[in-house]
Amino acid sequence: MMNSARRAGPGANAVPAAAPARISLSRVTKTYVTSRARLDALGPLSLEVAEGEFVVLAGPSGCGKTTLLNLIAGFEPPSEGEIRVDGRPVAGPGPDRVMIFQEPALFPWLNVLDNVIFGLRQHTHLSPAERRAIAEHYLELVHLEGFARAFVHELSGGMKQRVALARALAPEPRALLCDEPFGSLDALTRERLYAEFQELHARTRKTVLFVTHNTREAACLADRVLVLTARPARIKHVVEVGLPRPRDFYDARVSVLAGQILAELRSEIAEE
Amino acid sequence: MSETKQTLRSTAVLAAFLVAVLLLWQVVSSLALLPSYAFPSPAHVGSRLVELAADGSLWPSVKASLVRMALGFSISAALGLLVGLAMGTSGVVNTCLRSVFLGLQTLPSAAWVPISLLVFGLSDTAIYFVIVMSSTAAMAIATADGISHIPPVLLRAAQTLGATRRSMSTRVVLPAALPSIVTGIKLGWTLGWHGVVSAELIKSSVGLGFLLHAGRELNDAAQVIGVMLVTVFIGLILDRLLFAAVEKKVRSRWGFAPAAARA
Repeated sequence: MMNSARRAGPGANAVPAAAPARISLSRVTKTYVTSRARLDALGPLSLEVAEGEFVVLAGPSGCGKTTLLNLIAGFEPPSEGEIRVDGRPVAGPGPDRVMIFQEPALFPWLNVLDNVIFGLRQHTHLSPAERRAIAEHYLELVHLEGFARAFVHELSGGMKQRVALARALAPEPRALLCDEPFGSLDALTRERLYAEFQELHARTRKTVLFVTHNTREAACLADRVLVLTARPARIKHVVEVGLPRPRDFYDARVSVLAGQILAELRSEIAEE
Repeated sequence: MSETKQTLRSTAVLAAFLVAVLLLWQVVSSLALLPSYAFPSPAHVGSRLVELAADGSLWPSVKASLVRMALGFSISAALGLLVGLAMGTSGVVNTCLRSVFLGLQTLPSAAWVPISLLVFGLSDTAIYFVIVMSSTAAMAIATADGISHIPPVLLRAAQTLGATRRSMSTRVVLPAALPSIVTGIKLGWTLGWHGVVSAELIKSSVGLGFLLHAGRELNDAAQVIGVMLVTVFIGLILDRLLFAAVEKKVRSRWGFAPAAARA
């Protein structure tokens, strides 16, 4: 089954892959003001993410990691500073930057296949049959080809998150914004998904911004890990991960790096 | 125990109960505590219904009520959905309309009849007006509630996947609110059915409400009770035919537990 999925390849049945995005943030801040309180959630924070780079944002919980992704996704505007994707300012949510959430966020009124097709509707040049073929291809990539007709509630948590991954990848976004997408899964499922996710990234070469507080996950997946400070989040420390891919979750070198990242995180929590 | 067996069993229990009620009714009426023109026996009601059906006065009235309901309810459902969508997506509209609608809902359907006659006179428009006023608010509120309870992450997921402003309503907001909308439509149907019969009571020369009214004029309690039973029966059957299938489909799709066994 896996072999046939590989042989199918991304060839004929795919949206033409767009070049990965370059994301730049310059002195971005986010402050929430209510009538009673003022909360500095983020920044000032500047960041350059290169085309095709896999950047992991690791930080103490509640530090504003999710806020940062929301700003880049365009769900909220920054209070100050500017976010640009390929030089153009972000004006709102758009399918060039698809977000994968902590929860699968699948649409319960659609079956699995139609969930994956949802993001393909923007590609108006595709016929319904082509959209279907592409969606089926991505379901094969996440090894769920047998579940195209299933309802969302019939799937396990790990399967739902894999559908969410297929749904995010199918429209060939130029960047993936991942907000702890594997956080709620059991360890076994998660470790399998690390392997699948690395394989997919190697094949599709997208720019990825990946939020986590799991340091081993960070070391296993990233090209570069940014350790963030406690709220308001700023970049405290940068770890370049030069390890060869694919990486095994239990590789000794991954453990060593995870230890370093953890030390940085701990000192941040201690300073707080 | 298999599901079919359970259904059969609860159907048998219900049938036995209804037969017991009929028997009790027959026994009480045979005691002649009230004159038979005020408290007819079930046998009397049954034979009166057969007469009404045979002399051709029942069917045209059933048909008239149903046709009015079909048109009136369609208008009302369309209005309810649109207004509910506006309420669910705009805080201002919601603030303005919600309390007005909740207030209007306290009015019984029959309370709309006098004003409707004053404004529209003795026309079928008056009946449609009563149906619409009886049922639209409930459907609008159910739609608005359904929309306001959509998990925000679903809306964000749709936006990040490139849903346009227009496709958000039809492809995301309305389908996501569907379980609540179906509940609202069921409720709206019942309220509209109240409305049509209430309006026909006062203004009409045909319809179930008219037959009730005519029965009272003739001091014919058997006809009144018979037509009441027909009204209940048709309301139930249509609820089953029109909505049970839709509701079942929605529930299975969302993965809700099946509705508690309703016989």
